[in-house]
Amino acid sequence: MADRSKVGMEFPAYTMTVEKNKIAEFAMAVALKEEKEGINPIYYDEASAKKAGYQGITVPPTFMTSFFFWTGEGLPGIVKALGIDLNRLLHSEEEYEFYGSIYAGDTITRKMKVVEMFERGKRDKLGRFVDVTILETEVINQRGELVANVRSTMMER
Amino acid sequence: MAVNYDDIKIGDPIPSYTTGPITRTHLVRYAGASGDFNPLHHDETFAKMIGLDTVIAHGMLIMAIAGEAITAWVENKYLRKVSVRFLSMTEPVDWNDVENTKNRATITVSGKVVKKYEENGEKRIQCGIVAKDALGSRKLDGFFIVALPR
Repeated sequence: MADRSKVGMEFPAYTMTVEKNKIAEFAMAVALKEEKEGINPIYYDEASAKKAGYQGITVPPTFMTSFFFWTGEGLPGIVKALGIDLNRLLHSEEEYEFYGSIYAGDTITRKMKVVEMFERGKRDKLGRFVDVTILETEVINQRGELVANVRSTMMER
Repeated sequence: MAVNYDDIKIGDPIPSYTTGPITRTHLVRYAGASGDFNPLHHDETFAKMIGLDTVIAHGMLIMAIAGEAITAWVENKYLRKVSVRFLSMTEPVDWNDVENTKNRATITVSGKVVKKYEENGEKRIQCGIVAKDALGSRKLDGFFIVALPR
């Protein structure tokens, strides 16, 4: 069960550089394509991205999720820090608010904190409630601009 | 395909977007791309140990497919907010029983315009969105907000 004493806890700030080929890999994965030619060129070709009004190669809307997994200790680090049982973990809700764009070559810092932990719903067959943990993350670029806020709701079955 | 604020009416549907059946290879590709290596999404023995019949798709892959549906309609740069709830698990297609399993792994995203308004000096629309498999089971629902040129 999630450790309630962690409400308000701030994780260390983690930084990573957005690598061009990683964007293309992600864009192919979410388009269920095996080749770059099947995806929008704004995700791999700088000239196409600029022509479409972007400052450079940009990222698919949910690309930010990779910052959680590729920095710090990834998912194992998050569940360990919060006392969550990976065997019971389910992702319940996700919300992104965008204030700017992310581009290939940007150095992105994520600042995540635990905003809420509570029990929800009825007891299950084993007499347990569902444990809910809500995390909020600021996504900041190398110029100190807040490019997005992420709100993630996790559940333990 | 430019979408203009003035042309949009409340209740207008957004173009629906349908994937091919999701395979285990798609899940592995997404795991590698996103870094989400929760074994629930690629290791049958782990899935069975926690009481599932087989591996399930990442909820975030279904959300990403919703993102594809949205950005196939309006450009990525106009997106201001996406918010979803995950409603049910998605099992991939089984290659040895495609006929009986492809529908559970085929995702269609649809939605409609629910609100038009101005905020931060922008013309914005809010749309409800839902992703279902081809059996009609709801995978996620939620909404998104885009700022549109007039």
